[in-house]
Amino acid sequence: MTMNHPATKNTLVANPIQPIQVSNKWAAHALTFLMVFGPGLIVMEADNDAGAVSTYVQAGAQYGTHLLWLLLLLLPICYFVQEMVVRLGIATGQGHAAMIYRRFGKWWGRFSLADLLLLNFLTLVTEFAAIALVLGKLGIDPRLGVPAAGLGLTALVMTGSYRRWERVVVFLCLLDVAWFAIAFRVHAGSREWLRHTVIPSVPASGFTAGWLFLVIAIVGTTIAPWQLFFQQSCVADKRLRFSDLRWARLDTFIGAVFTILVAGCMMLAGNAAFQRHWDFTDPAQMALQLGGIFGPFLKNAILLLMINAAVLGTTTISLSSAWAYGEVKGWPHSLQKPVREAPGFYAVYGFCVMAAAGLVLIPKAPLQLIILSVQVLAGLMLPSAIVFLQLLLNDKEVLGERFANRRWNNLVNWTIVVVLFVLSLLLAAQVAAPRLFPNS
Amino acid sequence: MTPTAEKDRLKRQANMAFTIVHPLDDAPEEKVDTEHLGPMRMTRTVRLCLFALRGYLLLMFGLLGFRVLQLAGIVRR
Repeated sequence: MTMNHPATKNTLVANPIQPIQVSNKWAAHALTFLMVFGPGLIVMEADNDAGAVSTYVQAGAQYGTHLLWLLLLLLPICYFVQEMVVRLGIATGQGHAAMIYRRFGKWWGRFSLADLLLLNFLTLVTEFAAIALVLGKLGIDPRLGVPAAGLGLTALVMTGSYRRWERVVVFLCLLDVAWFAIAFRVHAGSREWLRHTVIPSVPASGFTAGWLFLVIAIVGTTIAPWQLFFQQSCVADKRLRFSDLRWARLDTFIGAVFTILVAGCMMLAGNAAFQRHWDFTDPAQMALQLGGIFGPFLKNAILLLMINAAVLGTTTISLSSAWAYGEVKGWPHSLQKPVREAPGFYAVYGFCVMAAAGLVLIPKAPLQLIILSVQVLAGLMLPSAIVFLQLLLNDKEVLGERFANRRWNNLVNWTIVVVLFVLSLLLAAQVAAPRLFPNS
Repeated sequence: MTPTAEKDRLKRQANMAFTIVHPLDDAPEEKVDTEHLGPMRMTRTVRLCLFALRGYLLLMFGLLGFRVLQLAGIVRR
């Protein structure tokens, strides 16, 4: 006798290509989870991109382990925000941009899309700037390495197989396990980090404006607008079913935990510089200094992990742009489609990647201005994206009782929205009008 | 439950097979038709949120504009 697993009982099995049959309930659960696993880990780990590596390492280098508690606090926030996106994606089978466009009208739809595309593009430039920087430290000419990286990243999505892309990207995400070894190697034996993780502490320099803005930068780095668009589109492209919700939630939770742990390891790596009173302008420079003490293997590992972070950030951010643009334009937009069936979707992806790579190679490109613009635009984009998300999750016409927010969801999420509003406002105000904060 | 019924239940359970299908190989599910729903109903909460968002965006663009004017030397620092 054959019966469907409870997790798939709501779905019709029509000409399944490779159905797997198991007799053990737990094996069935494990296999179903492995099939659903992916979008949650990818969206979370890709958020530890080149900019995030720089922010976390800088936090460690400036304040030692004193900001580890913030990461612990951000863990549930990351999870709750992305879990809403998962529910919306599974219930509607549509991306976030399409939902904003349909439910809030053309003006808000176009505003969100334009803001997302611009912010994503500027962020991509920073990813390629990091790749160029690290390639230079590894002795590879960025004029060759950066276009090669761009071409490789474009080829990665053009295989016409979502699964192939997902497997490669999950593998790249798991490479970040190496950060655990780095943190273990460079961190002094004291258990202070554990105390600072669970108990918020005051840094030796006290609460300064610089400390406040680093806190805001960490929050802004950990929860980014593209993540909302990316995961919902990814869930829709993977065609996750209603019954997959609990596994998709687990995937998102595992992704959140892994990402926060990796971010903590980056801070511990920065703490090694803090303990030695080193000054550095970027993590690549810190890697060279650490290499002088711990050997070239550690130096090369950090440099390669920085490239990995930028590569993960590039493929996911470019995909979030391509999916969002395709959804709003009504074009075919799926990694499952070959290039000839979704030319617009792949063209947007390819254009984003190659244009950002090209911009980095222009001598004297205004990279500092671009980094500042990313911060300002992120300040504009995040609160609006989260407000739309929260309103959509209360839209019972779309979600019904089953997927809509419960009262406790709303309480948690509105608190997050208000906190993010205030923090984003402070950060963007500091960038736009630094004289408002004379001590920073 | 009698011992015989329990034994039957365990036997049935032992013979059960669970079929696992990858989401991409499964038949598409019927989702909510969002295309024909039209715009969201403007309840008081929705109106208030969008109003606050507009205010936030105006403030932010105002701040940015002020900074640009400062950098251009039109507004004195």
